[in-house]
Amino acid sequence: MKRVVLLSLLLFLLPFAKAESNHSWEHEFENGYITTQPLLVEDSVFVRTSGFWMGDERPQVSAFEISSGDELWTYRSETTLQHDMSPLMFVEAGSGVCGVWQDVLIVAWADGKVTALNPSNGELVWEQQTEVNVLGITGKLGIDGDRVVVPTRQGLSTFCLDDGAQLLRVEFEEMGWRNGVLVSESGYHVGTEVGVLYSVNRDGTMTNSSIGDGKIRHAPIETQHGLLIHLQTATGSVLYLNNSIIGNYGFSPAIPLQFEDHIFLATSNEWVSLSCNNITCLEESRSSFHSNGEMSMRTLMNDSIEIWVPSNTPNGGWGVFNRTSLQRMHTTSFDSYTTAAPGFSSTAMALGNDMGLLQVTVFDSDETIEQESTFSLTEALHYVLLLLSYLLCCLFFATDNKPKLWKALTLFLLLFTVAAVPEISAKWPTLAESDTEAAWDIEWPEEWRDTQIVVIEIDGTENVIGGLSGHSNVYELTQAATLSLGISTEYEDQYLGLYLLSFNGTEGDGWEFTIDGSRSNTGIVDTTIDSDSILRWRPA
Amino acid sequence: MLSGLGTHGPQVSSLGLLVINSVLFASAIWLLMRPKNQQKGWLWSLFLLAIIASGSRIVLVGLPNIMPVTILVIMVASKYGLQRSIAFVILVTVSSNAVLGDGWWTLFQVLAWSSVAGVSAVFSVHDDDGNLSMKRLSFAAIWSVPLFSMIVSLSILDGSMSTLEYVLYLFNGIPFDALHMMGNMFFAVWCGAWFEQILSLQTPSQQRIVREDQHVSIV
Repeated sequence: MKRVVLLSLLLFLLPFAKAESNHSWEHEFENGYITTQPLLVEDSVFVRTSGFWMGDERPQVSAFEISSGDELWTYRSETTLQHDMSPLMFVEAGSGVCGVWQDVLIVAWADGKVTALNPSNGELVWEQQTEVNVLGITGKLGIDGDRVVVPTRQGLSTFCLDDGAQLLRVEFEEMGWRNGVLVSESGYHVGTEVGVLYSVNRDGTMTNSSIGDGKIRHAPIETQHGLLIHLQTATGSVLYLNNSIIGNYGFSPAIPLQFEDHIFLATSNEWVSLSCNNITCLEESRSSFHSNGEMSMRTLMNDSIEIWVPSNTPNGGWGVFNRTSLQRMHTTSFDSYTTAAPGFSSTAMALGNDMGLLQVTVFDSDETIEQESTFSLTEALHYVLLLLSYLLCCLFFATDNKPKLWKALTLFLLLFTVAAVPEISAKWPTLAESDTEAAWDIEWPEEWRDTQIVVIEIDGTENVIGGLSGHSNVYELTQAATLSLGISTEYEDQYLGLYLLSFNGTEGDGWEFTIDGSRSNTGIVDTTIDSDSILRWRPA
Repeated sequence: MLSGLGTHGPQVSSLGLLVINSVLFASAIWLLMRPKNQQKGWLWSLFLLAIIASGSRIVLVGLPNIMPVTILVIMVASKYGLQRSIAFVILVTVSSNAVLGDGWWTLFQVLAWSSVAGVSAVFSVHDDDGNLSMKRLSFAAIWSVPLFSMIVSLSILDGSMSTLEYVLYLFNGIPFDALHMMGNMFFAVWCGAWFEQILSLQTPSQQRIVREDQHVSIV
């Protein structure tokens, strides 16, 4: 019996080898993709679809019951246009100078309409029309007390939350696109497609200034040093703080995210963490990553945070960062291009992607989303066993019971080694890296010299791509290469970290890589690479 | 038969694997049928332990190198001799690799565990009276790991790998060897006596005497 118990305890260690998220339900929208963050409010999840609809299909906003996935209601716009990219906004009931309102779900449409929906049944509460110039509203709305602030195609309007009465209207000379609005003490701030920032006072007066030669496609971020703007330019993107350049980054910047003194940025090339001190805002860290849409933040039980960043690549998935670096990739069975940020509540998480797939993960009542991140039953059991075996060692040592001491000691050492090896193995090989020269192929273009090159051998065929740069580990470089080569990949989270399962669905006996001709015993995330590394994948 | 050169050595075609496994299996049968050691009543014990070893290797695949196979190889070799222990190694390796993944490395795993068996057959973990010595078994749990590791790692050798790279490869594997050692020690201490009981299940009745050796008791 004792041995049966022991073997059972060993089996408890197995979950360390593989951790997968459970999901409760999925819903596929036939008429478009999800490009904005699903909202989780109490027992409901609200999600909207966007573009690529045809015929009688139309973009829609739908509400589902979080626990069951049952559709509660759907509001379909018969008049809207393609590219409905304005994030949904939920406003709790309240009152103000302009009136009293109940809970409302504010939806802005590409045909310029602003609709307030009853979140419990989807019925229209009020509707307003703003100007259309090819497109209507595509940016993120703001809330200013009793009014919703709407960055329209070529101006800005505010509407009373009670009845939708227009309270303010100003017009700009230039057009905007995904031009979210910042609501600050001084007023409203909106950018345009020609790099002009408009600052609108609450009395309707306004000023504007040209930030640079580019496009402002997000709400400016307010810092103690002035407004921070990530300007999209023809050659990448430029970061401005109070009209001064503080950094240059990759193409198609994502919507920045602010948390306390940190600001998080992303582009097609990187994810960046900025830290603002008393003097200025400085880049704290940078990781290779491809993200162009929204990011969202999840607060854990210990008050630490996770930044969830959608990967806008064929493989999709979400990078989960702490304040400075990538912690893991969250993947699902339907990953694809993704720009929508995940939606979070205390009991559930909602993911949407460009395939129009919504996945909602509901956690048990005793396993909240925070616990899922910070508390693992198997890990806790592991550490309890570790502590218990240590205490038993002490006990049997004290009672001079050598046979039992020996048993307790081996159990303790085994549990300790199981816990320590992943960390040790990640650092160990750095003591003994070989300096083998990479094999340069004379058939490769000369412009690939001193860049990152990836060779993937699939079914005896070499797939090669060079000229890559800026990738810091094997995972990132592999992702970039497979994206360019059109090769699908599949990963699995294992005992020793992220593991590449297959290229183009081919698993074989596993895949192994060399960096500059040398093997590495560390995982793909832990193995760092140089700016001129040659990464070679081949069947094991 | 050899369709390419992978990082685990040559990639073996399906036909090649069939041939290798057939030869290994035939060797196991031959070794079981023609033992020099004339002990009786061992067959079912050996099969039972082979099932335990294979099953646990498959079940514990997520925890690299933690499995009772090495300890069982040592004990089987010490108790039943080299021939039967090599047969045991082949049965365990081929059957578990059928689930975990088969390839060129199967040969090297068989070779590595057979080497451990060879040493164990000479330096027995049983004393002169045939009792399991936990001290010897614990010692074997340690020395068997570098021996196994060095031989099984030969599978990665190909024309492009230098001796230095091979040594570095072994060096990089030390954390996992430590895991292997700790696993061996664990199974030796916690399950050694139980395995010994199974090994002695079919011992003829005239040999059944009460023997005590530390915490190993066989009745």
